[in-house]
Amino acid sequence: MNKTHIATFTIVSAAAVVFLFPFYVALLMAFKSAKQTFDSFYSLPSSIYLVNFKQAWSVSKYPSAITNSFIITVISVALIVLVSALAGYSIARRNKPFYNFIFIVFLAGLVVPFQITMLPLYKMGKELSMLNSHWGIALIYGGLGVQMGVLFYAGFIRAISREIEEAARIDGCSTPRIFVQIILPLLKPVTATVLVLNALYIWNDFLLPLLYLQDKNYRTIPLQQYFFFGQYSSDLNLAFAYAVMGMIPIIAFFLLTQKYIIKGIAAGAVKG
Amino acid sequence: MVTIKRMIRREFWYLAFLIPGLCLFTLAVVIPFVMGARYSFTNWDGLARTVHYTGLDNYKRAFTDPDFWKSLVNTFKYAIIITVLVNLIALLLALLLDTYLKFKNFFRTVFFLPSVISIVLSGFIWKYNYAVGFPDLFSKFGIEITSPLGNPDYALFGLILIAVWMGIGSPMIIYIAGLQGVSGELLESAEIDGANMWQSFRNITLPLIAPSITINMLLVLTGSLKVFDMVYVTTSGGPAFSTEVISTFIFKNSFNNFQAGYGTALSMIFFVILVLVTIIQISIFRRREVEQ
Repeated sequence: MNKTHIATFTIVSAAAVVFLFPFYVALLMAFKSAKQTFDSFYSLPSSIYLVNFKQAWSVSKYPSAITNSFIITVISVALIVLVSALAGYSIARRNKPFYNFIFIVFLAGLVVPFQITMLPLYKMGKELSMLNSHWGIALIYGGLGVQMGVLFYAGFIRAISREIEEAARIDGCSTPRIFVQIILPLLKPVTATVLVLNALYIWNDFLLPLLYLQDKNYRTIPLQQYFFFGQYSSDLNLAFAYAVMGMIPIIAFFLLTQKYIIKGIAAGAVKG
Repeated sequence: MVTIKRMIRREFWYLAFLIPGLCLFTLAVVIPFVMGARYSFTNWDGLARTVHYTGLDNYKRAFTDPDFWKSLVNTFKYAIIITVLVNLIALLLALLLDTYLKFKNFFRTVFFLPSVISIVLSGFIWKYNYAVGFPDLFSKFGIEITSPLGNPDYALFGLILIAVWMGIGSPMIIYIAGLQGVSGELLESAEIDGANMWQSFRNITLPLIAPSITINMLLVLTGSLKVFDMVYVTTSGGPAFSTEVISTFIFKNSFNNFQAGYGTALSMIFFVILVLVTIIQISIFRRREVEQ
């Protein structure tokens, strides 16, 4: 290691400490009692104090919030992957004005701010009984996610050679069969990207659940966190224990799927 | 005749493949957009079954509403500062991480971590750090501070700090991807020709990563113009309107003040602003990319 390397390493490490500091504080608060926190805020706990977690588990609706988040994320992501792959295939393989027009419409949708659609979505949700339902909110996520999904899938499928497909077609293979047997197996990398990026976004989303899931039993993790903090803001240690509990699943998911997240962001940028 | 039949059948499937996606898109974006555009010409309160058309009244009102202008100024101040800071820091970190650094992947994970947790959580963690943690830390050095979020002069800056912490991850990855496309040979030959680090960065690296800069500027700017969650969760627009951004202002008008018609008119204006910002930005950066 020469001097430049040491300097670089020092700068990056210092930045890393700054970035991790808020997490350190959150963990610290979660594992200390109110008295310990009062005595000295930043020192490590003298002993591991788990009462906050026990209490947070029993007073919050953590299990139900996790279940809701999980169900909603799974249905939404499955919808997005399925419909975007199908639409992306049509757009990529039919280079006709009609299909290109549809492609542009999908992209134009990305510019529409959520504020315009927010109130109509709420009204529509109420009239179509989509509020307080896993399917209701998942259908909306599906419609929002398909825009980016089509962009990713169409771009990826355009790069796949048509030759195998044409050979299969000459042998009498129908379009659905070609899609399922030839295209689908090739889509794994782009599916991983679409899946992971959407899962991250949907799991963490706050505004749509705030509008659509007003019944306590349907609250997702971020929504439950929001109300929990409001309610227990005087008991910071308890609130932070809940915060840490809410962080665990998504950080675990991130660490497991990091590769795809990073690849997806890089690929999305190059094509966008 | 058989071939025509086959062609119809073929086109049929391609069209059928489009339909589910189009249906969901129509449900989530097209219909609400059209409905919203319609409400913007009414004095609808958000609850009533019938609506009254009031023509351009909402739009006229918006242009003379000082609160709307204030929130617009706040939004742009917030978004522009963040765009500059996030891009500078993300590029710097990407440059450092693109060297032969040890534990590169570990550091990448660390800088990405804040963007993984929910905004509600980030807002919460920072709010209490500002209120309890930092004052405690600074008091050890004899400096007395209070949370910036409680002070109208610093609240917006307090939010910007959180947003920068949260927003470095993706731009950094995009810059790293861009830097990996810069050929080492070019940089080496520049070094042989006697270029210093700054010169080769300015004349070789920067032009070559121009597309990454374009996309990052665009994503960060449009993303932060639309900010909602963070403001709603941490300051809810206060104190004294100092952090009221356009999204929270629209939300309050639509849901809390029962002025849905006015709220949607504001969001239509915001939509036009967003489209203009996007077009201007793309054209500026495209021109620059071509020149180089």
